[in-house]
Amino acid sequence: MKLLIADDEPSVRSLVHVTLEGDEHTIFEASDGVEALEVARSEHPNLVLLDIMMPKLDGLAVCRAIKSDPATSGTVVIMLTAQAQDRDRDQGLAAGADDYFTKPFSPLALLNMVERVREARPGPGGAAPGRW
Amino acid sequence: MRRLRVQLTVLLAMLGLLVAAWGATIFLGARNAALLNASEQVKVSRFDELRRTTIDFEMKFVDAETNQRSFLLTGNVDARVRYALARRRADERLRRARALALAWPALLPRIDRVQTSYVKWAKAAEAEIRARDRYGAAAASIVVGQGASQNRFTELRIHHTALDQVLTGLQVAAARQQHSTYQDTQRLALYAAVMILATVTLIFAYLRRAVGAPADALRSASGRLAGGDLDTPVELPVPNELGAVAGDLEVMRRRLAGRMEALQRLRELSANVMGATSLQGLCNVALAGLGPEVGAARAALAAVDQRGRLQLRALSGFGDPEMAELIVKADEEIRAALPLRDLYVGQVVGIADVGDLARTAAEPVRELVARVGSRSLALVPLVSRGSFVGLLGLFWSERHPLDQEQEALLGLAGNQIAGALAAALRYEEAERAAGEARAVFYAIADGVLLTDPAGRVTAMNRAMELLSGWTEAEVRGLPYAEVVPVEEEGSIPIRPEARPLARAIATGEPASDQGYGVDLVTRDGRKVPVAVSSAPILDPGGRVVGAVDVVRDVSREREIDEVKSALISTVSHELRTPLTLIHGFAELLVLRDMPVERQRAAAEEILEASRRLARLIDDLLSVSRMESGRLVLDPRPLDLASVVERILSPFRAMATRHAIRAEATSGLPVVWGDPDKVDQILTNLVGNAIKYSPGGGEVVVAVERLHGAGNADLVQVSVRDQGIGMSPREMGQLFEKFYRVDRDEVRRAGGTGLGLYITKRLVEMHGGRIWVESRLGAGSVFSFTLPSRDGLVGRGSR
Repeated sequence: MKLLIADDEPSVRSLVHVTLEGDEHTIFEASDGVEALEVARSEHPNLVLLDIMMPKLDGLAVCRAIKSDPATSGTVVIMLTAQAQDRDRDQGLAAGADDYFTKPFSPLALLNMVERVREARPGPGGAAPGRW
Repeated sequence: MRRLRVQLTVLLAMLGLLVAAWGATIFLGARNAALLNASEQVKVSRFDELRRTTIDFEMKFVDAETNQRSFLLTGNVDARVRYALARRRADERLRRARALALAWPALLPRIDRVQTSYVKWAKAAEAEIRARDRYGAAAASIVVGQGASQNRFTELRIHHTALDQVLTGLQVAAARQQHSTYQDTQRLALYAAVMILATVTLIFAYLRRAVGAPADALRSASGRLAGGDLDTPVELPVPNELGAVAGDLEVMRRRLAGRMEALQRLRELSANVMGATSLQGLCNVALAGLGPEVGAARAALAAVDQRGRLQLRALSGFGDPEMAELIVKADEEIRAALPLRDLYVGQVVGIADVGDLARTAAEPVRELVARVGSRSLALVPLVSRGSFVGLLGLFWSERHPLDQEQEALLGLAGNQIAGALAAALRYEEAERAAGEARAVFYAIADGVLLTDPAGRVTAMNRAMELLSGWTEAEVRGLPYAEVVPVEEEGSIPIRPEARPLARAIATGEPASDQGYGVDLVTRDGRKVPVAVSSAPILDPGGRVVGAVDVVRDVSREREIDEVKSALISTVSHELRTPLTLIHGFAELLVLRDMPVERQRAAAEEILEASRRLARLIDDLLSVSRMESGRLVLDPRPLDLASVVERILSPFRAMATRHAIRAEATSGLPVVWGDPDKVDQILTNLVGNAIKYSPGGGEVVVAVERLHGAGNADLVQVSVRDQGIGMSPREMGQLFEKFYRVDRDEVRRAGGTGLGLYITKRLVEMHGGRIWVESRLGAGSVFSFTLPSRDGLVGRGSR
């Protein structure tokens, strides 16, 4: 399964990377919104973990772009953010995110969540999973 | 004035006398006549008898002579008898006549002559008869032939005839005399009648003149008065009671006319005073209306103010402006001198001589009285609806005691003026309140706009002018929604009927739009975030007569709110990010088996994140203490050059890629600062210089003396690096809280966004200044100043 981690904080990317490595995942990283969108479009990851406060293009805009583009709209987008207020959460879901993780998050919960996404995949063909 | 009675009495007395005199006259005349008639009657009847007797006497003696003759001729015895009878009768008649004639002495000689001749005839006749008897017929004829008796008889007849003539004359005279008496009586009666007629006419004329005509005149005059004609004077120049009545009527008429006029003036006064809105105007009108009526030349008006004190408010007729000032100045003393107790119960008080008032009053009043030149004063209390609202003073130059009529007039006028005064005071109060409202309206810092019930602008305050860009004059009468259009988020115009003002007008209840996202569109198209609240303006009956729209510019609040929100967001982010790393790596260490080197890396991440968190908490506490004023400097003299050296040494040990050096000019003054805080400032700047020059290079800290203006010598410290530098845009908010230059290198370097903010605050707390010069990719120079010790004298510090 292909995964994209977009976060401007290298340590956070590193944490996610360490958490998910070992399973046979391909993990991409992006440090700003523009880069994240480029990777999402070029690599068609199954799952995108998106920080909101990122340079150049914030996570909400990236999410909207992914979900509005038919080519990438099947991608599962999980917001992974330090923005913990209700308003932020609503904005995230309104932008089309499939779920919303608030920092600090439990790596175990993240693993479980990724596992569920993999199981929800209809087949190895990598077609759009829809809501999982 | 009892003349009429006297006149009538006299008149009656005269009438009485007249009647008495007339009666007496009649009585006397009648009695006279009666008396006269009685004696005359006797006389007449005697006279008649006398005449009859003499005539009878003639018939008898003629008869006797005839029979004597017949006897003589014939010797007839019968004739002789008849003769003797006739003779006896004739004798008898003659005696009777003689007796009757005694009443008329003038007749007596005549009768005596007749008697004498009768006696002679009788002797002759007797002699012839005896002759016949003796001598027979023949002898008788001879004797007769001699004619002795015949002659005697003729003589008798002559005398008798003479007597008869006298008697006839007497009878005519008597008749004439009787007629004359009757005529006298008649004349007397006529005179009396004429006199009475004349007197009655006189009396009538007199009465008519003295009573009748005046009474008629009085009647018509009283009729006129009753009919309301007060203009025609009552004139009756009669010097009696009626004249006096007329005089009284005239006085009454004049008084009534005067009162009518006074009433008329009072009505005019009433109309005029009601028109006066200012107290000065009221005073002027009152003087103009009352002055001519009572003769006063000046007036003063005092009113009870809101604190219940009587205060002089207006003067009229005082030509001398200084006088007004004097009166105002002596206000208190004048009040003390007034008989307020009488005035409070509504009594008009006349003071005939102000000198009396002044005698017991305070000095300023005496002075004023001496100067004012008024002798008399009338104080008219102004009582409206039972409460004392003020006082009208009227002044006379001469002594002028009030009469009852004037007092009553002033009392009435006072009622009128009181009503007007109360109205004027209410008007004044309303004006004042309106003025206050206006002042508040225009001074209030929020934009306020008033409209009529149709939503057309009637007024707009300065704040609203500034906010909207329109002026009040331009927008009066325009629909308010055109003047201050509002939009929701996303530039969607809010329909006028949905706005608070329209709701307030529709419901009669206050309404507001306090939610976020309402923008006012100004005249030049700018958008200003606003909060709008409106309320209806209600009349006493609860009808909506307009509305008020209060538009508050909330851009500052919105800004603060946004800053606050951003701050919370940032702090949350800055706290959660290290916490995420600590939590995540710790959980991985606990749950997952990892090679030792990976475990070490994780632990290092945890350690670094913990430090970062601790730093952040320190910084936040510093900021909080600085902002709340709890951070206090502990200043002392510092040798800045040695401080810099001390700070740099640990950096030199750590930063192997950087050449760190200090440059200090000689003769630096001692600065005045808190050693810990100055350390913090330098550490921050030097740390930043190293952090943001990841490629290494030179870091230079230069210390030099600046000769500032006056005696305020400064020491300037500059920290220069050869690092990544900044664009002008990036420098804009550099010293603000939580500002981070939005760039990867910066982000990688980590940081809370508080360092430079704290540094700036610390420099400023020392009385210094901090600034930056930089070019993107060409390094930065952060400089700050600290005052020398001399320059700090008297400045004080926190």
